[in-house]
Amino acid sequence: MLHTKIIDSNKDKILISKADEFIKSSSFGASIYFLGTVRNINQNKKVTGITYDVHDEMVLKSFTEIYSEANQKLGIEEKAVFIEHIKGYVGLGDISIIIAIACAHRDQAYVLSRFIIEEIKKRSPIWKKEHYEKDESSWLKGNPVLNEKI
Amino acid sequence: MLIKLELFGASRDFNNTNILEFNFKKVISIKDFRLEIIDYVKQKFNNNQDFIKIVNSSVFCSEENEIISDNYKITKEQKIGIIPPIGGG
Repeated sequence: MLHTKIIDSNKDKILISKADEFIKSSSFGASIYFLGTVRNINQNKKVTGITYDVHDEMVLKSFTEIYSEANQKLGIEEKAVFIEHIKGYVGLGDISIIIAIACAHRDQAYVLSRFIIEEIKKRSPIWKKEHYEKDESSWLKGNPVLNEKI
Repeated sequence: MLIKLELFGASRDFNNTNILEFNFKKVISIKDFRLEIIDYVKQKFNNNQDFIKIVNSSVFCSEENEIISDNYKITKEQKIGIIPPIGGG
């Protein structure tokens, strides 16, 4: 069971309550909520916020692919996964991503949550432009996407 | 043949409209398209090395939202996305 969505910060917010509603089930004994939030310092600069840029279609596609790969690699059949990522400006302390997981057992939930966030970092076309108190805003250096041949 | 390059991430600084338009008379590979973009950046931004680095470290995606290799040939008018190094979450 998978839910994915890109949330435009100009119109909406990431809500933990929505994730809670989605993953809640008496058949699952373990739930984990991973939240990514905007922190106030990066590389010794005072951060005031981050603008997230997103290739919507590719990001949603990558979330589905990561979920499918988790099925194959981790063999966790019964699970609920809720992933939402923000796009647009996000202020200090605000949520940029939520990954809510529910599985039968805690080992599965921890492993699956970690797997999903690490794969998103590697594969999902999302970019951050950091805004600072004193310095000029700048795009953060990321990791190149692997060039897959088709 | 009009190719629209959709800009993402750091490449958005190449243009205010987030789209660059290129006109080619014949089929072009992604490898050569990358060189054309580098030429554009060199001329428009006075040989800005940071921008050139962005183009060189990017991959491209098709209208079908697939990552395409340098050998991929653009044979018809379409929109291509440039995907600079990523780092979301």
